[in-house]
Amino acid sequence: MTSVTKQKSFFESLAFFRWYNGLSLKRRRMILGYMFIMPFILGFIFWFLIPAVVAANLTLQKWNLITPPRYVGFENFESLFSDEILGQSLKVTFLFSAISVPLGLAFAFFLASLINSKVRGIAIFRTIYFLPSIVPAVANAILWAWLFNTEFGLINFFVRALGGPKIAWLQDPNWVMFAFVILTIWGVGNSMIIFLAGLQGIPEIYYEAADIDGAGRWAKLWYITLPVMSPVIFFNLVIGFINSFQVFVSALLITNGGPQNSTLFLVLYIYRTAFQSGKMGYAAVLSWLLFFILMGMSLLVFRYIGSRVYYENPGD
Amino acid sequence: MSLSRRDFLKMAGSSAAAMAFLSRLGQVGIANAQDVTTIAFGGWGGVAEDEGVQEAIQVFMEENPNIAVDWQHTPDAGEYDRILQTNVAAGTAPDTSFIVSDSYETYALNGILMDLTDYIENDPLFSQPDYFIQPQESNRSKVNGRWYGIGSTWVAHHIYYNAELFDAAGLTPPGFGDDEIYDWDTFVEVAKQLTMDSNGRHPDDSGFDPDNIVQWGVSWPNDWWQPVASAVYSNGGAMFNEDGLCAFDSPEAIEAFQRLSDLTHVHHVAPLASSMESLGMTNTQMIDNNRLGMAIDGSWALSWTNPSLMNVAMGTGALPKMTQPAAVMQAHFHAALASTQHPEEAWQWIRFLATPFYQQHFAKIGLWIPNQTAMLTPEGLEGWITEGIHPANYAQFAAEYLPKHGVAVSLPPGFIEATNDYLGPAYQAIGIGEPAESVLPDAVRSANEVIAANLEALM
Repeated sequence: MTSVTKQKSFFESLAFFRWYNGLSLKRRRMILGYMFIMPFILGFIFWFLIPAVVAANLTLQKWNLITPPRYVGFENFESLFSDEILGQSLKVTFLFSAISVPLGLAFAFFLASLINSKVRGIAIFRTIYFLPSIVPAVANAILWAWLFNTEFGLINFFVRALGGPKIAWLQDPNWVMFAFVILTIWGVGNSMIIFLAGLQGIPEIYYEAADIDGAGRWAKLWYITLPVMSPVIFFNLVIGFINSFQVFVSALLITNGGPQNSTLFLVLYIYRTAFQSGKMGYAAVLSWLLFFILMGMSLLVFRYIGSRVYYENPGD
Repeated sequence: MSLSRRDFLKMAGSSAAAMAFLSRLGQVGIANAQDVTTIAFGGWGGVAEDEGVQEAIQVFMEENPNIAVDWQHTPDAGEYDRILQTNVAAGTAPDTSFIVSDSYETYALNGILMDLTDYIENDPLFSQPDYFIQPQESNRSKVNGRWYGIGSTWVAHHIYYNAELFDAAGLTPPGFGDDEIYDWDTFVEVAKQLTMDSNGRHPDDSGFDPDNIVQWGVSWPNDWWQPVASAVYSNGGAMFNEDGLCAFDSPEAIEAFQRLSDLTHVHHVAPLASSMESLGMTNTQMIDNNRLGMAIDGSWALSWTNPSLMNVAMGTGALPKMTQPAAVMQAHFHAALASTQHPEEAWQWIRFLATPFYQQHFAKIGLWIPNQTAMLTPEGLEGWITEGIHPANYAQFAAEYLPKHGVAVSLPPGFIEATNDYLGPAYQAIGIGEPAESVLPDAVRSANEVIAANLEALM
């Protein structure tokens, strides 16, 4: 092909590109850089910053959505102290977090250690253990509602085959929390993969040196694996803990907060307050409460646990 | 490929025009484009409901070429209520809408629904005193003496039974005639006969094992207001007192709740709060697998629990009576929003929805029971009773039983919150065996504080 078409492409003819091409390299790089981070910046502004400001403003209003909002001063904050359902909701949320986060971490670490072995077909097992975490939330809820069914559920079938009682998993307020912990632990695939990546990053020479010194399995775990893994464990702890405070879909679909408000997680209570009880202002107060709880707890975790984390190359 | 600006603009322009044309096609139909008013209609429903509404819109637009209806559909009723509220808040409410019965009175009292009273009183059809089943229609639709919507239809709970299990046990199934309705003791006795453990023993037999029941007598959902309120009314109680406050703490109500709980915990004829597991096995599947003799369910369930879809022979009958026959009836409303710019056209559409054509479609598939007396005459019944869907005695349910024994209830502002926070948890506690008399009084007191606060806010 010898003849070169001199016709400009559509994009080249746009005024923006004519202007852009005339800029210095430094300028062009700056603009390009901002364009690449713009999806996050815009998302942050529109889906976090503006809603947060609106929510802050709403804390001083009474608004049922269908009639105009009304300024009420600090009335919504006063309601915090007389709200017994909020007390129940916080209890449920903290209890769930306290049980599910450590158990989830331990189980994910255990699974990661298992699938870290070099046996044939290990990729298949890695896939199998990871699969539950990509099951859509609604499918997950329906599946577990069946499994936990008191009369016909598979779980009670096995419990009773082993001589156990008929457990009312989803009707008995004392059992339902365990049901939620079990279904949460089933979906630890994400933290498992992160643990696995961490485990594979531990240099083999540490273990070889330990073998020469005569260290046993537990000693290797305690003195090599856990310290080297501590940043990964810390990361999974913080993420797991934040997630545990945001349970919503499974609680809405499987129990809708019941029985007797024993699965009324804080986010579900906020949703109810806003959209079913018509108290947008109070729901905004609850949302900010959740934010400050998470921030306060995160600070505590960073202060007391983060300071013990071992970093191989600090300052890298 | 390089694209010149001219080409690009041409393509963009023509595709936008084509899309605009296509989207109008669906809305306008055969209507003349010049002076057509488009009104938005919001609502929910599964595939059958969606199709039924679209069909109705077609017919309406053929009859009213100057009005176009834009159907805004959401699958789930609960979600729709949220969407409607957000649209009202955003100033983008539809002109006309389905309104869930739980929210109807709240919306009417908050002034977001258009007052239809003058339209109804001046209408040649609706002004006739016997056009609707009365007094139920007025009881549910009128708020402070004014109409803010018209009930879409009626639905109510009744018994669905597995006729083969009744035959095998030599039992007479329930019906809808006054002499065919079970009294409570008969109901419990029949349920016991239908309940069997893995050794074939019934609850009163010695050696009966309540932990290994393979066939249940009855399933009565007891975790939401409609099926429990039916029992309360049947026992001579009521759901609300004259002040609009919850009356589930009356002795009659407490006794009714206790009787429902006893079905599971004393008589061992009902599985534990089975409706809690609404995502798990359904009543229909249990009947179809000979695991359940009688299911108490809403009449709408007939659209999937009917002779043409079931593998076993089935039938229907009235709820048992404690002191009197009673079944709570309700359904969503059709209403116009007060914010509409086209009240006249909105009324025309709401009016059309309350004429026989629209109800017939849904009545035929077993989803609805008409609220218009013209559809309950022998000729009217022929228009919707469908073989294979409606059991032989269903006409009697719609035309005799419901007008006579059906109770319409309207739900006060704050009822959803009161239910979420207090009444629902109380139903659940009773469901797992806590005594109704120790649970209900406190729960009702707290619920009534919520309702009273909501009523007060509207004063």
